[in-house]
Amino acid sequence: MIEVEKLRKVYAGGVEAVAGIDFEVAPGEVFALLGPNGAGKSTMIGMLTTTVRPTGGTARLAGFDVRTQQLAARKVSSVVFQDSVVDRSLTGRRNLDLHGRLWGVEPGEAERRIEKLVDAVGLRNLVDRPVGTYSGGERRRLEIARALVSSPRVLFLDEPTVGLDPRIRAELLDILAGLRGRDELTILVTTHYLDEAEHLADRVAIMHSGRIVALDTPEGLRSGLGRELVEVRVDGDPERALATLRSRGIARDDAFTVGSSLTVPLNGHTSSEAIAAIHELGLASAVSARQPTLDDVYLHLTGGRLADAA
Amino acid sequence: MTALALSPLATLSRRRLQLTARTPRELLVPLLTPIMFALVIAPALKTALHTPASYESYVAIGTIGLLIPLNTMFAGLGVIVDRESGAQRELLAAPVPRALLILGNLLVALAITGLQVGVLIAVAVARGIDFHASTTGVLWFLGAAALFTVGMYGAAEVLASRAPRQEEYIARVPAIAILPWFLAGALFPITATPVGLTWVARFLPLTHGLALMRYGLIGDSSGLHNIWRMSSAPEMAALSLGVVGLFAVLLTGVSVRVFTRAALK
Repeated sequence: MIEVEKLRKVYAGGVEAVAGIDFEVAPGEVFALLGPNGAGKSTMIGMLTTTVRPTGGTARLAGFDVRTQQLAARKVSSVVFQDSVVDRSLTGRRNLDLHGRLWGVEPGEAERRIEKLVDAVGLRNLVDRPVGTYSGGERRRLEIARALVSSPRVLFLDEPTVGLDPRIRAELLDILAGLRGRDELTILVTTHYLDEAEHLADRVAIMHSGRIVALDTPEGLRSGLGRELVEVRVDGDPERALATLRSRGIARDDAFTVGSSLTVPLNGHTSSEAIAAIHELGLASAVSARQPTLDDVYLHLTGGRLADAA
Repeated sequence: MTALALSPLATLSRRRLQLTARTPRELLVPLLTPIMFALVIAPALKTALHTPASYESYVAIGTIGLLIPLNTMFAGLGVIVDRESGAQRELLAAPVPRALLILGNLLVALAITGLQVGVLIAVAVARGIDFHASTTGVLWFLGAAALFTVGMYGAAEVLASRAPRQEEYIARVPAIAILPWFLAGALFPITATPVGLTWVARFLPLTHGLALMRYGLIGDSSGLHNIWRMSSAPEMAALSLGVVGLFAVLLTGVSVRVFTRAALK
């Protein structure tokens, strides 16, 4: 449904935001682009929605080339932008209706869809009020409903929960999870929240400096670091501690340091063996064992934490 | 429902009209200054300077040359609002040609300007200011006013696309909307200014628009003569209409190009 081949964007001034990326998203799949701000995620969405001109490469939505068949590509897709993009002085219903008309939905059908969507996103009591009176979370729910009025085959969600408080974010994630499998809807979501990618996506591409550095299912990405790892808070020089652990066969090449912490995937060791060995060496002020997260994967691949970089 | 009502252009125009209707100051503020000119300043000048009654008609039409730029510049503010806090990105992602985003706004600016010009003329007539136009004259007037409005809206779109913030847009409005008005024969013939300024005025689309509007509404071809120095009024009118038409086409084309380039990264 989405085919991206060697897609590249260099902005004026020579900044390469997207550096020749390839990926495909199957019909009905939820695909996440995970990475910090500046990784190139929004530029990627901009190119796929034809609001950013690619410098090179190709991309197709439902077979339509985003460079040469722009109107057709836009017709089969909708986007929920990172920032609020609504007419605030118009009512929610008018914003929804406008989308339907611009995407060529027959008015009667648009009205039926709007009624359903308003209930689905819980805006029944607000929909006839000007959007300027909505809270941030309500506006975001309206924007999700709006993107669905045209029954798109491809839905782009650009950082859909950024800036929302935790409760509203959780509610919104439930709504987004409910989109799964909806009429074979293909979803490309960008995020720098790990839980969001894990919760929503069938596959996750980790972006760093305009490149995809890993692409797999969330489980597949995590399993690259084994089933378990230990996190070690080091008293002295973490690099030296890491070298010591490597020389003792406790850590391998996939272990890494962040500040004064060591993260050591357990390849063949049990956590109790590793923790006992670390204590015996007197390297740590604290040691704990846990399952790998996507943050560990990101850290391993890029040397930086998503939360720090975002 | 007709095919026209369903078309994207009608949808975009309807949207703009609804947004404009929610900010009535955009409709009223541009009217205030021209009406004051037509109803207060023109009669005062007539009394103070002992000008003939026709001077009131002259200034009343001259104020249309202020109303149109002011109104179109106010309309252009909507483009910045769309970009900064409105739905511009949603519209850019819609499956409609991007030129329609401008044309939809233009149709509304044209309609509102038409309404305001109508109000201004109605108020002037009610105040006793005399117009005597033939059907052909009204057509000259409408052609000139409509094409000049189209051109000025194009200028407003260009300015809005290039100005990063509303403050910078507003700061540039006097140079585009007001300064030419003083030079274009709104209050006095262009030949009353120094020769250099007369020549500058001959190149201003507003000069041609005002001369045409006066020719159409009060049968006064002196403005056209001051520009072209020819004897046939219809020929001069046709030439000036061509100038205003060229202005409209050029600025609309440029505005589409500038908007598209500015909106897409």
